[in-house]
Amino acid sequence: MEGSSTATLGRDEPRLAPRRRWLSGAALAVALVAALVLPQLTTNQFYIHLANLMLLNSIFAVSLGLIASVGQISLGHAAFVAAGAYVSALAALSFKLPPILGIVLAGLVTGLAAVLLGKILLRLRGVYFVLVTFLAGQVFTLIVLNWESVTHGANGLLGIPAISIFGLPLSTRLRFYYFALAAFIFVVTFVWALMRSQYGRAFRSIAENVRLAESSGIDVSHYQIVAFALGSGIAGAAGAAMVHYIRFLSPDSFTFNDSIAYITMLVVGGRHTMIGGVLGALFLTPLPELLRGFVGAQHIIYGVILLCVLLFIPNGLVSIGRSFFNKGSETGTSK
Amino acid sequence: MDYSILLGQAVLNGLVIGAMYMLMAVGFTLVFGIMRVVNFAHGEFYMLGAFAGFFTYVYWEIPFVVCLLIAALTIGVLGMLVERTLIQPFRSDEMSGMIATLAISVIIQNGAVLLWGPQPRAMPDIVTGTLAIGPFSFPWSRLVVIAAAALIFTAFWLFMQRTRLGRAMRAVAQDTETALIQGIRVNYIYPLAFGMSVALAALAGALMGPVFSVSPFVGLTPMLKAFVVVILGGLGSVPGAVVGGLLLGMIESFTATIFGSLVSDILQLLLVILILLVRPAGLLGQREA
Repeated sequence: MEGSSTATLGRDEPRLAPRRRWLSGAALAVALVAALVLPQLTTNQFYIHLANLMLLNSIFAVSLGLIASVGQISLGHAAFVAAGAYVSALAALSFKLPPILGIVLAGLVTGLAAVLLGKILLRLRGVYFVLVTFLAGQVFTLIVLNWESVTHGANGLLGIPAISIFGLPLSTRLRFYYFALAAFIFVVTFVWALMRSQYGRAFRSIAENVRLAESSGIDVSHYQIVAFALGSGIAGAAGAAMVHYIRFLSPDSFTFNDSIAYITMLVVGGRHTMIGGVLGALFLTPLPELLRGFVGAQHIIYGVILLCVLLFIPNGLVSIGRSFFNKGSETGTSK
Repeated sequence: MDYSILLGQAVLNGLVIGAMYMLMAVGFTLVFGIMRVVNFAHGEFYMLGAFAGFFTYVYWEIPFVVCLLIAALTIGVLGMLVERTLIQPFRSDEMSGMIATLAISVIIQNGAVLLWGPQPRAMPDIVTGTLAIGPFSFPWSRLVVIAAAALIFTAFWLFMQRTRLGRAMRAVAQDTETALIQGIRVNYIYPLAFGMSVALAALAGALMGPVFSVSPFVGLTPMLKAFVVVILGGLGSVPGAVVGGLLLGMIESFTATIFGSLVSDILQLLLVILILLVRPAGLLGQREA
């Protein structure tokens, strides 16, 4: 899963030299085999749990990166994750909807909500958009807390069923791991393909210069809504998947702090590339466990890391890896 | 139940929270107007101001006015340092600057939890008694907040309008490059404006300490409201922040009295969305170039 794919969100990359292409293909294959085999070798449930969280967080960060790829940043991302989780959990509890369908439903509902919200919000540029996504996220939390007849308020929802595929419940951590891995590969491949399509080119040109893109005949608001809806829909579906794994949901499950955590992962990894979000999630998810000695200081350390990355490596961890990668190769691409 | 008394109560409450929103929004909008930075840590400086007021007033037992001055000065200087070291590097990059303030807010808030614990602390009223006018009775502790906020804003307004430094700040807000050509030292203006902005937030926090309680989490709501206010009034507009702040305070107080605070919060968001639909740059704001 630590594949060194070079798909980029923010910038056009010159075509890879054949040798490097072969190398990254091999690295990807090795990573995939490792991701498939490694969990079988450990009996420590906690490591598998951590791997599951890493995969889910990667999906959250990549979906946020999709929204960021049109030059917007959403501070309400956790609200979409939570919305997806509530849709699927409530559908499973009240209507006995199979979780696997609930995940699809969650993605559709949150994506659709993002289209409606986007139609209003994306008239706003830059700062106003950020502010309103922040406000919308807060209001969502308030509604969930207070609509007790449906959401059970602060008590949360208990006994949410696990996903089951062809009658096989994914009730162990290891079984869920393979589901999460498949979902992760699906999302990454989808976003990678999207970024190489006409949509990806339009996204990049909008991020680069909105006015220029607009005057070149690119329908800016259409593409922004597409990116917002796809990013939010993926986040909602992944939130639903997560709730069938954790099997408990309360208004505190996904909060503004989580929105900040996703942004941190994206920025620390490298916000201009898809793989950046993945790297950030892989690096930051296990970090609190290494810092167990510093109780209460986790968030501070997240904040300090975020500041340091912004100050000293603005293009994220990806840029370090890339400059290292490029040193020996004859292509010598810039950035 | 007597409706006129309820009405008086709602007006008073509206003025108190409106005054606080006004102070918050004025500082927030000042920094955006001058530096193009959205300061997500604004609420944390409010919280720090509340703690500064709490500790000086409760432990040192000095007059509250002195506590306010101490809060404004210490938090203002802290703000200048923060601007100089952590925000200045992102001058040309709005998005990174915004994310940096998010990081700062996370650090300050959790630092406060680590230092002072998460539990809220009650702060004693600075004055007691009530003012009776006809059927209405107003507690002095609330009236003092309104008067102090009005005084602080007047001082701020006079500074911006009448002094060379204030004029320089307005010049930078209008056009940084032209201001630079006129010999205005932008590198001094930026930290100063940021320090003033967070000092206003700290004053709001210290003033509201006795009204609400003091905890590391008190900064979130005022910041949220400051966002609503600047969207109503237009980002970067000081008059917009004043009108928007008082208006929002009133709307919140009345809708909360009638429908409860949850509906009030949702109505406020709907109002924001409605206004943005009609006027995407705010009620009094100008379209950004």
